[in-house]
Amino acid sequence: MNVFAGKLFALVATMLLICSLASLTLAAPIAADTNQCRPSGKDGAIALPRQLATANRPREDKYTTADVEPLSSVDIGALGLHTPKTLTVGTLSQAPPTSCLSSNGHYTGYDNELLRAITAKLGLQVAFVGTDFSGLLAQVASRRFDVGSASIMATEARRRTVGFTNGYDFGYLSLVVPSGSQIGGFDDLAAGQRIGVVQGTVEEAYVVDTLHLQPVKFPDFTTVYTSVKTHQIDAWVAPAMEATNAMRPGDTAEIAGYTFGLGNYVAYAVAKDNQPLLAALNSGLDAVIADGTWAQLYTDWVPRTPPPGWKPGSKSALTPHLPDFAAIAERHRRAVDEVPPPKSVLAQLRDSFFDWSLYKQAIPVLLKTGLPNTLILTVSSSVIGLAIGMVLAVAGISRARWLRWPARVYTDIFRGLPEVVIILLIGLGMGPLVGGLTNNNPYPLGIAALGLTAAAYVGEIFRSGIQSVESGQLEASRALGLSYRASMGLVVIPQGIRRVLPALVNQFIALLKGSALVYFLGLIAGQRELFQVGRDFNAQTGSLSPLVAAGIFYLILTIPLTHLVNFVDNRLRHGRAGAEPEDPLDRIASTTSQEMT
Amino acid sequence: MTDRTAKLQSVSLAGKDIHLSFGRNAVLRGVDIEVPAGSTVALIGPSGSGKSTLLRILNRLHEPDRGDILLDGQSVLKDDPNRLRQRIGMVFQHFNLFPHRSVLDNVMLAPRRLKRLSADAARQLALAQLDRVGMKHKADSRPAALSGGQQQRVAIARALAMGPQVMLFDEATSALDPELVKGILALIADLGADGMTMLVVTHEMGFAKSTSDTVVFMDHGQVVETGPPDQIFEAAETERLQRFLSQVL
Repeated sequence: MNVFAGKLFALVATMLLICSLASLTLAAPIAADTNQCRPSGKDGAIALPRQLATANRPREDKYTTADVEPLSSVDIGALGLHTPKTLTVGTLSQAPPTSCLSSNGHYTGYDNELLRAITAKLGLQVAFVGTDFSGLLAQVASRRFDVGSASIMATEARRRTVGFTNGYDFGYLSLVVPSGSQIGGFDDLAAGQRIGVVQGTVEEAYVVDTLHLQPVKFPDFTTVYTSVKTHQIDAWVAPAMEATNAMRPGDTAEIAGYTFGLGNYVAYAVAKDNQPLLAALNSGLDAVIADGTWAQLYTDWVPRTPPPGWKPGSKSALTPHLPDFAAIAERHRRAVDEVPPPKSVLAQLRDSFFDWSLYKQAIPVLLKTGLPNTLILTVSSSVIGLAIGMVLAVAGISRARWLRWPARVYTDIFRGLPEVVIILLIGLGMGPLVGGLTNNNPYPLGIAALGLTAAAYVGEIFRSGIQSVESGQLEASRALGLSYRASMGLVVIPQGIRRVLPALVNQFIALLKGSALVYFLGLIAGQRELFQVGRDFNAQTGSLSPLVAAGIFYLILTIPLTHLVNFVDNRLRHGRAGAEPEDPLDRIASTTSQEMT
Repeated sequence: MTDRTAKLQSVSLAGKDIHLSFGRNAVLRGVDIEVPAGSTVALIGPSGSGKSTLLRILNRLHEPDRGDILLDGQSVLKDDPNRLRQRIGMVFQHFNLFPHRSVLDNVMLAPRRLKRLSADAARQLALAQLDRVGMKHKADSRPAALSGGQQQRVAIARALAMGPQVMLFDEATSALDPELVKGILALIADLGADGMTMLVVTHEMGFAKSTSDTVVFMDHGQVVETGPPDQIFEAAETERLQRFLSQVL
């Protein structure tokens, strides 16, 4: 009893700590302006770096169309859209200012706002789905998405996979290094340095193909930039706009140089054979250039001097009028010439982990979006895991070889593969096959992948539990005249399950944590679970505080679960007569439901 | 208790030419055994002689390779083994109570499931059986809270609750502390006095001598000698039985 009281105390103490954190959060002042997913306006203007004003832009442009079809001739019924009249767009939640998720859960950024304007011209609805850059083009090619919108540089290599619209933006690369680095520009990059890039980006291709170096690959901009600041890598070859956007005054990183990368322009990716959609988007793009929308969005989100000779849209599109960004940038620079002193280590740590205003922002979304989704994912995949796991266990101890053998193979495969591999294979691989059933929602596939994996472990747990029950139990039950099935169901399996209850709960905790992996499949804003919500806030702000908040949510879920199982286990061991349900089958059901809470 | 014989329709149990091998290991090699209706037969012999296996053949927990089993003179090898086992109760050396159920639940389970009794009727039946073995006061306990002797009493009640015509005891007192053995043996003897047909595998020679009608001595998978207790214990014919008795007495 003393032990139990001790545990109770620990639990209460944890809860109190969390509550006090929450109250501190509420008392904290309104956020300093850390949101990176919002338009900077004209004041954020950047002049074209001097290094680039004279640099050679790569290759002549043979892809930009001479002109476009008039908007009126576009037949929106013939665009081969995934969902009729709706443009399904794959984008990134973590690449401000070009594509990102706003703090109220809308996909926005320059690329996506421009695409909204274009679809409005065409009379289409638009639905955004967040995904990983490394998988985006493949998903466009397989038509899971109609359009990829992620500041995608239209390179020769990518044109082998997908088609591109005319350009709506240009890109150049910047080299971000830790403050005080010896690296002074792209020419200083050499083998042996740890050069970070985001996987699958044009920066990666640039480092490999142009610089002939081996980069360190990261899944997203936030992670690679954090690694620069903490000196874990020597340099980050970055898209200039995203890098400038990520860097905050006082950060321990600086830009060491600029260069043009591969390709001529940034464009929307479309399935290669979908010519009607390409043509329609090109028409829409020229239309938003003609009415000034392009110039407005460009000025709001990505205000910077275009390189000489570049303009958006087709060759016959109007040349947009843009403010003199170089002059604005110069004025602005003089106005804020005083660079704030670098922050102390303590202040940096505080901002990274304990920015109360960010907790205040993140917690409501974690509660309303992240928590329900994490619970749905965990509970439904647990149900699948328990059901299939029990079948696997019973088949695994069967005397019939044709039952035992498939169970063995299943278990070996699903237990032997990393969870993330299974999620990607089932989520992306099965997607096109069952797309009609799931309405191309990867959520059920994520649940299936998690559940099927859990089944392999749960099956082994059940099997070991059942096999640990003494053979005399089955013998005694059978000697009373109960059939094999009744004996297993009433006598052997209930005892087996009881013994493995702690192991089962461990499995559920693993599942709860594993549910974070579904983010690989691309989720709309309302489907994000705890990790993804924390990650998106982390990407918007560059602070780790939202991830800490998400972590606290996980702990609130998992810690009581482990204590609950100890309690239940104790109770079952020592028995409380009278407190138990009459029917043994009810009893199995009640143990399982306890596992799932 | 004048209605004892009326209550128990005593039946006989017999095994004819029973053979059983586990792989190349011949465990039973042509065993003939007969338990006349209402009698108590003690089955003795060294470890590994096949006594426990023979019991499990008679209620078909193991199927014989060859031979026949007769209950009340009828062959039962073609019957549903689950029905056969409802007619033959069995008590084990290690009790084998179901640890996740209360004492009452242990006794109620089979009548409830197999005789389709209502919860209430099954409880009445179980309490009556527990009363018979002196365990009614522990009805709500878990088996783990009972002594070995108490657990074996419950196990006997559990077997009796199905109303068997024959009882098999497999070294029912071997796992008990010495001071508890007597009580269980007395309970078994009482059952025999009530007219139950019983086959009792035992190492308690005193019990075999005093309580059984017939003693069967097995060795190496065969019945070596059969006879009334006096004859077996006082005038053993075979050298094997004489050697066995000299070791255990």
